[in-house]
Amino acid sequence: MSRPKGFRQSMAWLHTWSGLVVGWVLFAVFVTGTASYYRSEISRWMRPELTDSAFDPAATATHAGAFLQTTMPNAMAWSIRLPSTKDPEVEVYWWRNPGGPYHHALLDPATGEPAKVRDTQGGDFLYRFHFELNLPPIWGRWIVSACAMILLIALISGIVTHRRIFVDFFTFRRDRSAQRGWLDAHNVAGVLALPFHLMIVYTGLVTLSSMLMPWAEMTAYRGELLRYYAEAGITIPGRPPAGRPGEALPLGEIVTRAIAAQGQTPELVVVSNPGDAAATVNTYFEEPPGLAHLHPQIAYDASTGAEIGRVGEAGPATRTGAVMVGIHEAHFAAAPLRLLFFLCGFLGAATVASGLVLWTVARTPKGADPEGVGLRLVRLLNLGTIGGLPAGLAAYFLANRLLPVDLPGRADWEVRTFFIAWVAAALAAALSRRNRAWPLALAIPGIAFLAIPVVDAVTVGEARFLGFDAAMALLGGLLLVGARLASRRRQVQQRAETILHRTAQA
Amino acid sequence: MTVPALALSLLLAFSGFSALALSLERHHRAVFRSPVPRSRRGGLRAVGSAGLALSFAAAVACAGWSFGPVQWVGSLTGSALAVVGLIAYRPTWLRTAALAALPLAALTLPLALPG
Amino acid sequence: MSARVESARGWAAQTYRLAVATRVILAAAGGYTVAALASGWLALVLPGARAEAVSAATIASFAIMAAAAVWVFAARTLSRAVLGLSLVAALLTVGLWLAGAFQPGAAA
Repeated sequence: MSRPKGFRQSMAWLHTWSGLVVGWVLFAVFVTGTASYYRSEISRWMRPELTDSAFDPAATATHAGAFLQTTMPNAMAWSIRLPSTKDPEVEVYWWRNPGGPYHHALLDPATGEPAKVRDTQGGDFLYRFHFELNLPPIWGRWIVSACAMILLIALISGIVTHRRIFVDFFTFRRDRSAQRGWLDAHNVAGVLALPFHLMIVYTGLVTLSSMLMPWAEMTAYRGELLRYYAEAGITIPGRPPAGRPGEALPLGEIVTRAIAAQGQTPELVVVSNPGDAAATVNTYFEEPPGLAHLHPQIAYDASTGAEIGRVGEAGPATRTGAVMVGIHEAHFAAAPLRLLFFLCGFLGAATVASGLVLWTVARTPKGADPEGVGLRLVRLLNLGTIGGLPAGLAAYFLANRLLPVDLPGRADWEVRTFFIAWVAAALAAALSRRNRAWPLALAIPGIAFLAIPVVDAVTVGEARFLGFDAAMALLGGLLLVGARLASRRRQVQQRAETILHRTAQA
Repeated sequence: MTVPALALSLLLAFSGFSALALSLERHHRAVFRSPVPRSRRGGLRAVGSAGLALSFAAAVACAGWSFGPVQWVGSLTGSALAVVGLIAYRPTWLRTAALAALPLAALTLPLALPG
Repeated sequence: MSARVESARGWAAQTYRLAVATRVILAAAGGYTVAALASGWLALVLPGARAEAVSAATIASFAIMAAAAVWVFAARTLSRAVLGLSLVAALLTVGLWLAGAFQPGAAA
């Protein structure tokens, strides 16, 4: 670690150290975020009891409203997500305070009763982990955002550092030194998907901007945020409760009106101040074809069913922000493009992982010099994160199939299994001999992923999950190939070292 | 945004990137075991840039101005990855693959264009 | 290696670490402050509808923060980094004042 002199050296220094300090969190964020491109598919696989069935949107909404009326009549709001081609169930939330707790249930579209389905968070766990790390939301979001900002800085300084981006664009030298190979891998994964990396980190920050950077809203609107959202064309302005009870129409009646007005079924219905005379029903429709994450919305008076308002037209700047959020989430992407996004996210995780490994490889002392504490710590954290997190993921899926269906607190146990497996796999790799550590760290999740299709076939065994199971098998296979490569490299290295040692002795 | 549309921009970008890679000394050596002739370098660069430009045109023609560029950038990453993989593991296949991609692209064209 | 050289080297490492820590804090706190001030100022002075100015300023703020942080690490000396950021922050504060951000109830 020498003192940086010129601009490029200081940027190289900045890239190395900024990348290192947030690398492990970023790896987890990239992996779970990439998995979240298939959040609905994961949720479906994890709730095998649910199947697609035709449903009547109006009747479904009325049933859900009745369920919420008995559950929490004096809630601050109810939210009802109607079934769609992606998710077959009715998902309802209800809460009394803006800060939560948010209660949640899945309902059977036909009856409005809680669906008979195993208790699981499904893909939502990975999705939320991606930006909250399973911490209290505010903490998790700030930590992930800080890491994202540091990643943005690492990307900028990395571009400055990488002197020959175009000459080295296609270069991946397998035949040279380990350090060369890792540097090439880091460059290739980073540069080939550079547009994606820059896009995903910036749009990620924009997605959380109302928490991270509220100062423009605060200055121009003096803190009247709802007014900004209304004027910008993001939401319909809400109205205060009347303070006296009111009689509401069945929700299905309002959904029918919304369908007539918009020509399509709303995907989300939110009732504010239910039971109040001024209760409002907001209907949200699917995003129109395009990149922007802007839902058409119509608000209705809950008691009369009269239309109160519609969301305004968003201007170019607001639309740009919405496009950024839209591209980040890639809801618009059909299967083939989604696969490319997945590949890019995978390359993002690979860039982080190869950068972390490169840090240790470049600092491994030559010959018999002792290793420093820092180097050993980074190596252990690398093993524990790069091998441990996939092991946790596989265990999360396995737990979904293997835990008893009626286990109390089952969803929490799935999450616990995720963390227990992560820690256990990390410890196993950390405690094993140096030359076995990487093969072991990759083989454990590899075998666990390969076990998923087998366990699924035995416990559920439905043809519609073949695609998911094949993807899991493929992931397992890739991890095992990685384990094999790691063990071969170690052997080669060892042989070279023994020969060197003998020659030195002779 | 259909599979043929994405395949079309992927194939064109793949051919383009292959030509660009072959215009570079190191990769030309790996593929042909000979230095790249100065006369051919310019031609390869031109063909390569044309391939990327055609890939962009195809993406926009098939998917429109909002999805097209997104799809194009995605295809750039995917196809460049394939070129890097071939150069690293099967360098001698690169020329054949790049040439074969062009008739394949022509085949997907009628399926890819909307309407 | 004499003890004196050892201790001099240790001292140099200490000041180096301190300098790095200061720049990290400056990049984080100073970068965020500049970005926050800039987004507030832009929200008031950008032409067009108020909501549009707010959206544009918010989107731009992250680029501003990244640029400020990179500047902190690129500056040749620590004092230049401090001076540069302070100057920008002061100018933005004046700009905010001129745009009426500190007058009570000036919104709407």
